[in-house]
Amino acid sequence: SGPPREKKRWLRAYLEMQRLQAPPKRRSEQPNWDYHAEIQAFSHRLQENFSLDLLKTAFINCCYIESEEARRRELGVDKDAVALSLQDNTRLAEQGLRFARAYLTQCFESAYPNLPAKGVEALVNYLTGQELVSFVAKNLSLQDLALCRDFPAPPQVLQRTFLAVIGALLESSGSERTGIFVRDFLIPQLIGKDLFEIWEVVNPMGLLVEELTKRNISAPEPRITRQLGVSTVLPVYFVGLYCDKKILAEGPGETLLAAEEEAARVALRKLYGYTENRRPWDYSKPKQGLAAQKAISSN
Amino acid sequence: RYVRQLQRLQFLFSPTAADARGARQFVEEAAQDFARQHPDVVLYVSPCSGTAPLVRAEYLNGTVREELIASKTSEEIVQLITKLANQSGLDIIRIRKPFHTDNPSVQGQWHPLTNKPSILTVQGPRLQPQ
Repeated sequence: SGPPREKKRWLRAYLEMQRLQAPPKRRSEQPNWDYHAEIQAFSHRLQENFSLDLLKTAFINCCYIESEEARRRELGVDKDAVALSLQDNTRLAEQGLRFARAYLTQCFESAYPNLPAKGVEALVNYLTGQELVSFVAKNLSLQDLALCRDFPAPPQVLQRTFLAVIGALLESSGSERTGIFVRDFLIPQLIGKDLFEIWEVVNPMGLLVEELTKRNISAPEPRITRQLGVSTVLPVYFVGLYCDKKILAEGPGETLLAAEEEAARVALRKLYGYTENRRPWDYSKPKQGLAAQKAISSN
Repeated sequence: RYVRQLQRLQFLFSPTAADARGARQFVEEAAQDFARQHPDVVLYVSPCSGTAPLVRAEYLNGTVREELIASKTSEEIVQLITKLANQSGLDIIRIRKPFHTDNPSVQGQWHPLTNKPSILTVQGPRLQPQ
């Protein structure tokens, strides 16, 4: 009897500490979550029409199916009574990967016709590689929607989910729209990147000599163009490469060898058309449906 | 393409408190229109008595922003959430410079040796005027 007993003073601080120290939970396990609404909002956010079943399949990873089956076995639920009829996203992911690679290869071959096959392959590998795709997926909130066993989802799973989303879009809307989607989300990640950051070239001078022989130009002759601070700790040498007494490229470096290598790299960038002051990528709407697109979709 | 950075809005208000009157009016009248106009934002409405009415906005880069809507009219709440919907999830701090470019120099950045002639240029004798 009497007024109800007050809570102790330390209780509030203790509860706050517990809340802060609790391990982070998936967004799907926190309050206020509606999977169907989130998936609809996802498709509207990307301004694409997805067929929702394909999209839901795209988010299911195999580790999720295994963990669900293990959980059901532990809880003792009979397998036949509650059948787990969920499809994997591996098929969609493979389709998406194949399409993305083919489309990106075609884009780069038409935009940089002088770039050799190895360079194009290096660019495509970078754009479909784990880090970049998982970064794009995280910023599109795929880590909330993807169903996976571990939390937070590892980058491999995010990459697979994103490629599965591309595969689902391919099956729902066709190759043209999926091509525009891939162009809009993956190609801007190349802005500000240099060609040789992405493509590891061990011997740029040898590659340059090969390129020049293909174009029937004589071998380059390196000459020192400018030099500063030769006898100091930080010298700067500018080495220019001359073909038939005409300047091809000029590059700076700390030592003469480094400067020559840098000049070879600058020359390669000029030859392949991947300089810093090239025309930016064309993101306008494609006017006509290319026949090549259909060729890709039949791959 | 444009991707709206706002993921979801959660409205938490109590069904009986006096300062949540604007929130209740908003949910009855304007929430459906807002949801129709912004199909890429998920709206959650959950009643919770005892706390101040607030709206929590979650963005694609993970930031969660909470705004109090106590004693606000329905129109003010609409204005507030349109503002939240058009923001990105970046922190609201002082912007150092209002411009940015990915290609800072077109002809090549200046360095102390740009306009100096190279060692290889040969200075010939001056030609006599003809």
